[in-house]
Amino acid sequence: MRFDFTTEETDFRNQISTFLDEMLPKNWGGPAGLSDDDGWALDQRLRKELVKRGWLVMGWPKEYGGADSSPMMNTILADEMAYRRAPGLDGFGTRMLGPTLMAFGNEEQRAQHLGAIARGEVQWCQGYSEPNSGSDLASIQTSAELYGDEFVINGAKIWTSMGHRADMMFMLVRTNPDEPRHAGISLLLVDMKTPGIDVQPIVNMAGVHHFNQVIFDNVCVPKENLVGDLNDGWRVGMTILNHERSGIEFAAGARAAIEELIAYINNPDSPVHSAKSDPAVRIKLAELSTEVEAARLLCYDVTWRHGQGLEPSFEASMSKVAGTDIYQKVLEYGLEILGMYGGLEPASPQVELQGRFLKLRMLSTATTIFSGTNEIQKNIIAQRGLGLPRPPRPPGLANK
Amino acid sequence: MDFGLTETQELIRTTAREFLADRSDSSVARAVANGDTDALESLWKDIVELGWPALIISEEHGGAGLSFGDFAVLLEELGASLAPTPIVESAITSRIIERFGSNDLKSDLLPKAATGDALITPAIVERDASWDATSPTVAATKTDTGLVITGEKRFVAFAEQATHALTLVRTDKGDPALVVVPISESGGIEQIPLEHVAGTPVSSVSFNELEVPEANIVATGDDAIRTTEELIATGSVARAAQLAGLGRAVMDATVEYASNREQFGQVVGSFQAIQHHLAEMAIASKQVNHLVHSAAWSFSQDGYSVERAAKAKIAASEKISALCWNAHQCHGAIGFTWEHDLHLYTRRALAWKTDYGDSSFHKSKLADAMGL
Repeated sequence: MRFDFTTEETDFRNQISTFLDEMLPKNWGGPAGLSDDDGWALDQRLRKELVKRGWLVMGWPKEYGGADSSPMMNTILADEMAYRRAPGLDGFGTRMLGPTLMAFGNEEQRAQHLGAIARGEVQWCQGYSEPNSGSDLASIQTSAELYGDEFVINGAKIWTSMGHRADMMFMLVRTNPDEPRHAGISLLLVDMKTPGIDVQPIVNMAGVHHFNQVIFDNVCVPKENLVGDLNDGWRVGMTILNHERSGIEFAAGARAAIEELIAYINNPDSPVHSAKSDPAVRIKLAELSTEVEAARLLCYDVTWRHGQGLEPSFEASMSKVAGTDIYQKVLEYGLEILGMYGGLEPASPQVELQGRFLKLRMLSTATTIFSGTNEIQKNIIAQRGLGLPRPPRPPGLANK
Repeated sequence: MDFGLTETQELIRTTAREFLADRSDSSVARAVANGDTDALESLWKDIVELGWPALIISEEHGGAGLSFGDFAVLLEELGASLAPTPIVESAITSRIIERFGSNDLKSDLLPKAATGDALITPAIVERDASWDATSPTVAATKTDTGLVITGEKRFVAFAEQATHALTLVRTDKGDPALVVVPISESGGIEQIPLEHVAGTPVSSVSFNELEVPEANIVATGDDAIRTTEELIATGSVARAAQLAGLGRAVMDATVEYASNREQFGQVVGSFQAIQHHLAEMAIASKQVNHLVHSAAWSFSQDGYSVERAAKAKIAASEKISALCWNAHQCHGAIGFTWEHDLHLYTRRALAWKTDYGDSSFHKSKLADAMGL
């Protein structure tokens, strides 16, 4: 039982903070006010700097260009980056695909891809969801048929974040049409420049083009791009999701938002400065702050487990649910404190806090949906964590 | 960060579980709630023999010299077992006396508290039911030898069993004073036992020109307020630890029930509606556990963290009481019966969520600490 950080960890956190002071634009409040192109440019600039300092893949083993840093140091990096709303960490390459290739990839795949990810040279995207396969991911229909030395892919992936920036995609495909669920799935690596791929933009409710629909029309991929065994893609792909879920970015975003709100109402120049002396506001901010800390501790618990060699499973689902839930609540309460100003778009005259509470609240809608909805996470907690039986499935679906 | 338990803490947990399984099942809680003071005193005697009330008191004063984090692990088990026992009252008053009392007071009272020959309970709250330490109305007149105290304190836990109260008074000069007063003697003391949801003894205690020697004064003036605030913070984290254990026990019992109760031909725990209730309970339970450990750990550093103590009590008060109501929902009609033990937990949670400041009280403290 120890609830503080070591001197080394605190020093590292301070280094990141100083680094971001230097790198981020003046009066930086996050990318919400940037255009998609400007946001991407900043992401690329920061990623190069993270590589220069040896931080981008610091948690990877030394043989793949990492520094064997502890999970705690990695989470501190993710915590501090998210707290400052700084882009550049590249979750797809560094936290999802990289560790999966180390576990399941062959020598050639590791040699070809890990170095490029570590050097920040390549952007990956994730091809999992399909128009008819969201929470029920095992029902995917995009097919890959083996003809000679090539897989030929047909179908559609959707909600593909960064699809329009990505050089490469790791994707789940159905390689055995006779197995309609888990047992017929494989994981493929696909070059986004391959003929037959059409990336179609989808603009989200915040007005941001972040994700896409990606259509595959007879897309030919070398059979060497299969990761792991044929039809074993479900296991490989789920490893990726386990690496994805640490949850600290939501707790960090909530922490940033609440501190920003407190500083804002404490500022005598703020038009809503009178909120500071409203007892209801004081009570609500204290309540939210308690929830933020409660979510943050769950994330650090997941990290600690990771460091102890205890593979987190439902614990990561807990931190995702708690973190995304409180993130949305803090942003929502920010809009309430801002009152009528809360409704002003970032570009509006007389906007307060650059309109980012509105923008972030809109964007945060996705957080309780992506990477497994919070309802799916609660199923995982109940079934894996508490040992409750799986609910009865409709006839025809394998109950595995 | 280290979310694991130390070897000592693991040992405390195992020992406590074994002892409590044997000595403190729900029949003991029910007996004490029905006014069986023999059951209460017999359990307390065994607990004193284990050295638990003085776990965090130094060896010099008859204690075990362990940390507040170690104590929190013990309190979780006591909370989970519903043990009707004044351990929190005894431990936190001893801790405050050890930290702030005179040497005479320490060497006189603390060894007695460790052996059960003395039992000191906090008497802070008055008619307005507030845990605010800044405005006591119980009056104390200064004399050459000490204080003469008159007035009423309410909601004093285990006053019937206690030998002393640690109480906050206002002197005739207007300064507050935190003072140890003997309450088991007949002269100058009147107790009115209350009927309380906790199912453990709670009384109002009136002082009528009660004489207290000067050596019993623990702190005066601003120090008295600060010391009382620390007493309340210590008590709030201790209650939060008990609530954490209670919540875990209720959650485990609800999972067990949902895994066995069948409707529509399958166990109700297979339904998503029930699974989501339980998943939320599991999250809340873990969060409270972590916040309690974080706060308890801060007491073993220099002083303690006001923010962490407040967060632990806010979360424990709100989340564990909600968890209990949620458990009633998952249990259906059987959980609504007097016969089923679930309401014993819910009653205790209702009492503990208010003890040492409810969530509103601590949110206000936290807002102050956050610069609002």
